[in-house]
Amino acid sequence: MAKRIFINLGRCILCRACEVACEHVHGEARIRVFEYLEMMALPINCRHCEKAPCMEVCPTRALYRDADGAVVLNELKCIGCMMCGIVCPFGVPELGEEKIMIKCDMCKLRREKGQLPACVVVCPTDALVYGELRELMTARKALAVEKAIRAAREVGTSPVLL
Amino acid sequence: MIYLMQERLVPVVCPFCGFGCRLYIKAYDGVPVGVEYMAIPGSVNEGKLCPKGAAAADFLRHVDRLRKPLKRVGEKGEGKFKEISWSEAINEIVTRLKEIKKQYGPDAVGFLASARVTNEENYLMQKLARLFGTNNIDHCARLCHAPTVVGLLKAVGAGAQTSPYEDILKTNVIFVIGYNPAESHPVVMRYILKAKDRGAKLIVADPRRTRTAWFADIFLQFKPGTDVALLNAMAHVIIRDGLYDKEFVSRRVVGFEELANVLRKYTPEYAEKITGVPASLIEEAARTFATAGKGVIMWAMGLTQHTTGTDNVAAIANLGLLCGYVGREGCGFFPMRGQNNVQGACDMGCLSSILPGYRRVTDAEKRKEVASLWGVEDLPPEPGLTVVEMMHAATEGKLKAMYIMGENPVISDPNTNHVREALKKLDFLVVQDIFLTDTAMYADIVLPAAAWAEKEGSFTASERRVQWTFKVCDPPGEAKPDWLILTEIGKALELPGWRTYSSPEDILREINAVVPQYRGITPERLKKQLEGIYWPCPSEDHPGTRRLHEERFPTPDGKARFIPVEYKPPAELPDEEYPLILTTYRIVGHYHSLTMTGRIPSLTKRWPEAYVEINPRDAERYGIKDGDRIVVITRRGQYECRAKVTTAVPPGVVGAPWHWGANVLTNDALDPEAKIPEFKVCACKIVKKE
Repeated sequence: MAKRIFINLGRCILCRACEVACEHVHGEARIRVFEYLEMMALPINCRHCEKAPCMEVCPTRALYRDADGAVVLNELKCIGCMMCGIVCPFGVPELGEEKIMIKCDMCKLRREKGQLPACVVVCPTDALVYGELRELMTARKALAVEKAIRAAREVGTSPVLL
Repeated sequence: MIYLMQERLVPVVCPFCGFGCRLYIKAYDGVPVGVEYMAIPGSVNEGKLCPKGAAAADFLRHVDRLRKPLKRVGEKGEGKFKEISWSEAINEIVTRLKEIKKQYGPDAVGFLASARVTNEENYLMQKLARLFGTNNIDHCARLCHAPTVVGLLKAVGAGAQTSPYEDILKTNVIFVIGYNPAESHPVVMRYILKAKDRGAKLIVADPRRTRTAWFADIFLQFKPGTDVALLNAMAHVIIRDGLYDKEFVSRRVVGFEELANVLRKYTPEYAEKITGVPASLIEEAARTFATAGKGVIMWAMGLTQHTTGTDNVAAIANLGLLCGYVGREGCGFFPMRGQNNVQGACDMGCLSSILPGYRRVTDAEKRKEVASLWGVEDLPPEPGLTVVEMMHAATEGKLKAMYIMGENPVISDPNTNHVREALKKLDFLVVQDIFLTDTAMYADIVLPAAAWAEKEGSFTASERRVQWTFKVCDPPGEAKPDWLILTEIGKALELPGWRTYSSPEDILREINAVVPQYRGITPERLKKQLEGIYWPCPSEDHPGTRRLHEERFPTPDGKARFIPVEYKPPAELPDEEYPLILTTYRIVGHYHSLTMTGRIPSLTKRWPEAYVEINPRDAERYGIKDGDRIVVITRRGQYECRAKVTTAVPPGVVGAPWHWGANVLTNDALDPEAKIPEFKVCACKIVKKE
């Protein structure tokens, strides 16, 4: 099943622990956190898109999808043409010092050992969550329902009427 | 033949803040390679880390680490040293200290312990000072939570955090004042946001719109230094509307009438004039806080680092006691500690007026009790000098020598230029540290110490949780653990009653006997129980006390006290010459004086240089653009850095992270009771650098 690193916007405190952990695992951070309007934080990482444009344009087929659904770079095949970087709507793939692309592989080596991606492990507020897509979305819906019920209780009405 | 390296995961306690995160360091053949990112069930952080913790192992093998004892050969502050042997270094220290003691008496020597070394080492440091014959022993708790210890001691009888962090998860309202967990303790935000998921309300009061304030339901942006007015007004509303817990107040607290009398004039409208917070918002905050049923109060340096620090703590304790938010599930006072063993260093008695286990030095009976345990007749009875007083005494020539272990007062004390003068005037200065800090530049002898992962010992986190940290690797070069150095110096000084300690376990066993709160926290238990034990733990089969004050308060009559306080303005207010208010704070990516985090590339890359936050309106007035180089000037010094134009600070206020030496600007005016300097408010002006 497709797994993802899901971002809970509104939980990120801009501490950049994910960046530091990623840098320690990969040598260079593949996730970036931006401050938005001095009132919220926006972490940007690879979305491992279902219809990944980077995979479609890669002339050497260096990008492939692994068993967990991550879009991973085969470094031996990459020629550093930057096509993936050009088409990525988030600007995720970057040209590394070794003249090949660098991008998030959802911590392939850690997953093979049964560990979670490093950014997810350290994230203090669970702004980053790793898991099966549908389960994550269900959990999110449940939280929204809970919030609606609580809000309704506060004003003393039924959630349907909100 | 293939040689397979031995991989080992060693559980340690994070060396940075006081939250007490447990982390595992991976080592190959005894060489630390980094932090292993993994979920750790049962630990307070569950494997979650902040950026500093995620990079914690990176400075252990830094080239700048001190590897041999050094003796100064150049001028003080010049940084010219020559390497000497351990026996030479100890000889010199002992001869000089003995000379000074003989000529000027033991009180001419000051000792600084450290909130960054283990309980065992702090215990030895204060024992060394007291057997040497002086109470001039202090550490940086003086610069952070001294008002909390003094204020809470008066109000509820104990100066520590009352409840474990789980109580945040169970609460209905969280009131955060002068504290920015999103940057100071990112993992605390985990608890706060989880509570919010459950429907808890978050009230944040801060002069800056901090990252914690992003998540607030109610945000009270008040003028720096007006804490008492704000808190009193909230208490006024609670009493006026009868929202306080009448049963709790009548049964467990005394002094309600006096408090009500003082609070009468603190109407929200009156407070609005002082604090700048709209009266209606104060009312809403007070009502939300009082009607929640369960609440926690969290505060830190923003509340304590004022000349009115003790009053601020008293005001916040009044608020909590009014609502009965103490000693129950989902309630508590959380004075958030900044350093990983600041709680432990206080417990061990590294304070000028307090012996191990919070016995006052002036209490002859308690003092003799400690003395007899140490095998001497009596200990010095007069309270000694505190950190800032030591610096003043040094400039006046009353203090002749200092022994500083693991502290960097040149960066961390207020009014840096004065500290430099003071250190220059000393006849003899010993600094024991892992790097050549700015303070070590002024030392006569520098001793190389082992860092936290190179030794064993116990650390006490903010919530009174004592945890054992294990040894990952050997110290570099000839560096030695602090406890070993102190043992040798104590022996060479031929102090009466000094023992030769063989290991940290050996010292902890003595602590078990001397400190009643630690009686049952034996090394064997700590090593087995990685999640730690909460003090007070009176016996070996006691599980530890997670929540304080459930039945009664540790005061003579078992009741807490309301301490009415009046608003007093800060020591230095803006005027025509210095029209702006300067306040200081901490950022998430760096730790204190940068001794450690300043040497970690993954952090310095992200948080590279000093800056000062300025409101766009002020920036326009002074013709400053974002990124310009500016000079901030106060009566005490000047500081060059970049300007960051942001609405996070209100007009008229500039905010500076202090890691890069902004304390050259701050005011060393003291709180009369707790002796904490006013770091958080002073008058300044800014000039654009051409």
